[in-house]
Amino acid sequence: MSEMPTIRVVDVHKRFGALEVLKGVSFDVHRGNVVSMIGASGSGKSTLLRCINHLETPTAGDIFIEGESLCFRGDATGSRKPRPLAEINRMRRDLGTVFQQFNLWPHMTVLGNVIEAPNRVRGLSRKAAAELGAECLARVHLEDKALEYPARLSGGQQQRVAIARALAMQPKVMLFDEPTSSLDPELTDEVLSVMRELAADGTTMIVVTHEMGFAREVSDRVMFLHNGLIEEEGPPEQMFGAPRSERYRQFIAKHLH
Amino acid sequence: MGNWQRLVWNQRDALFSGLVVTVEICVIAFACAIVGGLLLCLVRMYVRPLRFMAIGLIEFFRATPILVQLLWVNYVWPALFGWPDSFFTAAWMALALQSSGYLAETFRGGIEAIARGQREAAYAVGMPPLLVFRRIVLPQVSLSTAPSLVNQFTVIVKSSTLVSVITVQDLMFQSQKIVNIWYEPIEILTATAVIYIAIVFLVSAAGKGLADRLRRRYGIALA
Amino acid sequence: MSESLQQVLDVSVFWEYRTVLLRGLAVNFYVFACAAALALSLGLGAALLRISRRRLLRWVGTVHVEIFRNAPDYIMVVWVHFVLPLLIGTLLHTRFELNPFVSAIVALGFVYSGYFAETFRAGIEAVPGGQIEAGRSCGMSERLILWRIVLPQVVRRMLPESINQFISLFKATTIVSLIAVPDLMYQVSMIIQQEMRPLPLYTGAAIVYFAVILVASYALRAASERWRNKIFA
Repeated sequence: MSEMPTIRVVDVHKRFGALEVLKGVSFDVHRGNVVSMIGASGSGKSTLLRCINHLETPTAGDIFIEGESLCFRGDATGSRKPRPLAEINRMRRDLGTVFQQFNLWPHMTVLGNVIEAPNRVRGLSRKAAAELGAECLARVHLEDKALEYPARLSGGQQQRVAIARALAMQPKVMLFDEPTSSLDPELTDEVLSVMRELAADGTTMIVVTHEMGFAREVSDRVMFLHNGLIEEEGPPEQMFGAPRSERYRQFIAKHLH
Repeated sequence: MGNWQRLVWNQRDALFSGLVVTVEICVIAFACAIVGGLLLCLVRMYVRPLRFMAIGLIEFFRATPILVQLLWVNYVWPALFGWPDSFFTAAWMALALQSSGYLAETFRGGIEAIARGQREAAYAVGMPPLLVFRRIVLPQVSLSTAPSLVNQFTVIVKSSTLVSVITVQDLMFQSQKIVNIWYEPIEILTATAVIYIAIVFLVSAAGKGLADRLRRRYGIALA
Repeated sequence: MSESLQQVLDVSVFWEYRTVLLRGLAVNFYVFACAAALALSLGLGAALLRISRRRLLRWVGTVHVEIFRNAPDYIMVVWVHFVLPLLIGTLLHTRFELNPFVSAIVALGFVYSGYFAETFRAGIEAVPGGQIEAGRSCGMSERLILWRIVLPQVVRRMLPESINQFISLFKATTIVSLIAVPDLMYQVSMIIQQEMRPLPLYTGAAIVYFAVILVASYALRAASERWRNKIFA
């Protein structure tokens, strides 16, 4: 594809003190793609996702969102400086993030959670935001819970609210950080099916997950991370049908039932 | 500079004697508060018929301001009970009353925090209740409430500034006396404030250090 | 003793002066409200300083908290009322006097800001970091996150402890009687000078404070429990 990638990650390194967690990761994500990142814990996949929305600052390398650098900006003289927080926040509006722990705000209703950012960050009026919020809640099949407080919802429902909250910003990319890892097995299906619907709608998604079934059925591309590097990547048929590297083969053998 | 020397340094004897009185009152009040608080707590928890009276006293001591208690103990009690017989006694008695209310609740929290299972285990091996209390409950309560006790001591020190109102010659009283003699309050009142803040700060810091050591050594959740 | 007991229980003197005494109690509430407002704002400011990223600001916040948390209320009231005007007067080369109401409110406000600062800080640090990250991920500014996500939860979380501190502050307002602010205790002492009957008056004052604080604390706790249970179910 010749159009500009929605997300371009270039040689990202991330070091925490003496520990280097990401050792030079590069890849592109184009519009409409669903990319799954799999790997053992400690492989750096969550860190990579958190670099993409700048919750972590890469130690080296850069990330481009529709061509615009997330980490740096050029000034008048042409030299590059770290991008200030205000601009990073502006760019974050185009990224929706769903966390493993849901991270809903307990003192607001479900609807309140969903419309908070559209109202206060994008500046939508309360009314417009509420309509938008209702639509997003309908997409995750939770319209009837709009006035409940998060504490009263099950884990699966809370995560779907979190998805609606991320959708409400009408982002260019949805980032999912192990969205079902905190859920009881009975509750993961409702979340995964919502994610399937989003993928079918053409949402650009990057999903860090342990759910191999989802990765195989829904993604356009699967990336296997190991020790801070992309060990192997490719379309699901190849990744699950014909694994090439030995480490990846071992990983697959352990995780596929 | 000269002022400081004249007003503060030269008066150090008077200030020191005031400090001594403050310390005496605080220590006596603290000791009585622990005894009184423990008594109120035990009566409230274990002596059925007197339970409401104990609760009433605890709430009364906690809900009345210390100044009011000081004046009340000092002026009303002697007429009612023939005691206290001196301002000094009234001072520590009032301070003790106030703190015993808070400590009663602190002790209650500490005792209730000791998991029932521990007591049941002790009963199961045939320990009589009194021994259980002495060997299992009390040691742990002492450790877990120690930081709160230190904190209550700082409260006593801070409240003790008011005993000057009933003409007890504590540090506050001495410094106010000096102000009334020389009419130059800046140096002496600032110095007095600094001394009190320093004392409370040191006691607080000691309490925090104690709390840290206890947590590390015994892993006890502090009341 | 029984004669004294009778004197103590003789409420007529209390009833006689009820308007004056009630006005005195109202003064207690007024001083309390103003001092509480000051203490909350300063306390919040100090708490935010203490969690700042810059070391100097953190230090300023810590110094503020340590000085005022460890200062006895009475000495601070006296100092603000007698020393501060002289210092300001020297600075402005003029004679300066502080209204005792102002001294009382300033002194108590600063002292209790020390306690509230610690309460706020503990509450802020208790908000799960993930919620703040969720806010950042939507592009919310740090300030928006503080006001819309962190502080609302801090208030709900720290309400019980704050109620205790409010009650302490209310009890502390009796000190202002000693710098001639006409609160309940001041009125009581004036009446005693006139009527020479300390027993029922001091006892009555104790009972009034007891009743007010008991009722207030139960009401506040009940209301706060119901409010908190909505979200901390």
